[in-house]
Amino acid sequence: MISAPYLEVAVLVLGTVILLIESFFSKFDRRYLGYAALVGLALIFLATFFIAPQSTMSSAPFWNFYSADATSLFFKRIALATTAGVIVMMFDFAALVSSGVQGATPQSGLGEFFALPLFTCAGLMWMASAIDFVLIFVSLELVTISFYVLVGFTRRNPASLEAAVKYLVLSAVATGFLVYGITWIFGATGETNLQKIATVLSGTGLEQNAALFGGVLVIIALGFKIAAVPFHIWVADVYQGAPTPVTAYLSVGSKAAGFIVLLRVLDPFLILPQMQTLLVAIAVLTLIYGNLAALPQTNVKRLLAYSSIAHAGYLLVAVVSFSGRAVAFYLVAYLLMTLLSFAVLILVSQPAGDQLESFAGLSQRSPFLAFAMLVAMASLAGVPFTAGFLGKFLVFDAAIATHHFGLVVVAIVTVGAGFYYYFKVVRAIYWDAPPASTDKIIVSPLTRVALIALIAGTFVLGVYPQPIFDALAR
Amino acid sequence: MLRDYLPVLLQIIVAVGFAASALIVSVLLGKAGRRTPIKDSPYECGMVPIGEAQPRFSVRFYLIAMLFILFDLEIVFMYPWAVVYRDMIHGHPVVFWSMLSFVSMLMIGYVYALRKGVLDWRN
Repeated sequence: MISAPYLEVAVLVLGTVILLIESFFSKFDRRYLGYAALVGLALIFLATFFIAPQSTMSSAPFWNFYSADATSLFFKRIALATTAGVIVMMFDFAALVSSGVQGATPQSGLGEFFALPLFTCAGLMWMASAIDFVLIFVSLELVTISFYVLVGFTRRNPASLEAAVKYLVLSAVATGFLVYGITWIFGATGETNLQKIATVLSGTGLEQNAALFGGVLVIIALGFKIAAVPFHIWVADVYQGAPTPVTAYLSVGSKAAGFIVLLRVLDPFLILPQMQTLLVAIAVLTLIYGNLAALPQTNVKRLLAYSSIAHAGYLLVAVVSFSGRAVAFYLVAYLLMTLLSFAVLILVSQPAGDQLESFAGLSQRSPFLAFAMLVAMASLAGVPFTAGFLGKFLVFDAAIATHHFGLVVVAIVTVGAGFYYYFKVVRAIYWDAPPASTDKIIVSPLTRVALIALIAGTFVLGVYPQPIFDALAR
Repeated sequence: MLRDYLPVLLQIIVAVGFAASALIVSVLLGKAGRRTPIKDSPYECGMVPIGEAQPRFSVRFYLIAMLFILFDLEIVFMYPWAVVYRDMIHGHPVVFWSMLSFVSMLMIGYVYALRKGVLDWRN
């Protein structure tokens, strides 16, 4: 049996070994580093199924910060799977990494490009286990700082540079909010551990307003991470400018980690009714803004950015209904369909760009990619028998069970808007005529396997979600 | 509970009051006396105040500065660690191993920086 904290250590060691190999040896194909990262992540993913139960652990002070319950293990697996998916995409993106850099070979920068997601992954995994504000903050910073570098990785591309600067500045502001909120909560309750905060908050004779103020500041910071309105301003530009695999990582990994922290942080604040009202307001704004702003988009990357805001809205509905199960399932569905759509986008956009026109007639150029994108869009929109539909179903079910009828009405109306803009992409693929001079798109075997796995996952979870529930309830 | 924050409030009042009084006093008293162009020029720690808005620094400056901050913080972390080390090491060897892993992580970063030629100023 393995102890849970070794998982993060293993990911970190994998990342540093890849960095050191990159720096000590120069004459080899850097893609092998990517393969090594994939194999390592797969082994660690398998290892998560052999974790010793937490009850047998010692009572070292470490366990005041770190929990290894079924939920955190589940989110660790999400982090590992996302990172593996992103690294697969990076192989397809590799040609663009050092474009525009003077005197660069196709190999330069690739080693770091494959190593950095591993550090992000370790941060995401720590976040999944964090039950103390100190560990939450440190792991959040590990994720954010490695994302700063990744977003600006193609630094000769002005759009990427702009995205990196915007992300850096706004993220730093959000971090400031988080730390300030934590100090207020600590000042009011005298604790940083979430369970102890819950005990103090349920007691009497407490300066509740101070704790509430701190809680709101923390929500603002996390709202930035999960791209909720009105903390969404950075999303469209950063998603569009960042290298596409990094965009996929931002929209899945950053969001998943943000939501598990949100669930854990909100737990002690449940007893404060104002918090509930605030979250309902944020959820309604996010749903309406994300879906409406996506309607006129003609750039697929931007469209997916606004769609990511909209999905944050549905996830917030699940958070408001306090259904951890719906959040977890929705995040898995979101992972599958988002990675699928970004993987197709990378292949299609390499010669032609991210605009919607480059998808025109994709069904004739590559029927396989066209079908993959169709599945992704159908699942994102919420067509039955896909994971996306069942995710939305669980979210609405939880919301109705907790009597949030107004929220469900708004959510269902905005799903209608979603159908329009997702099927705009499908229309371009199947009905628009392809441009005159187009070649067939070549899909590498590795990407093909990954795409088939994602498509299969979307359908299987759409009809048989039981494995997810079993993993959560272990 | 909020009474505990009274010193913070006092600190804010003193800080704002000091800045305001310095400005007011300089307006009230500073007009008197002879004026010369040099006296009227903005004072900035002895540097020439007029020049390009964005002077160019060598990129090595930033790399060295980043490395310096990393190791500076490492030392800062070691102080609180050293204070509790003697009490906590009995029964919790994790105290030792966590600091060792922290330092070795920085070491790996340093080796990486060396190999990438960050400290090589020849070209």
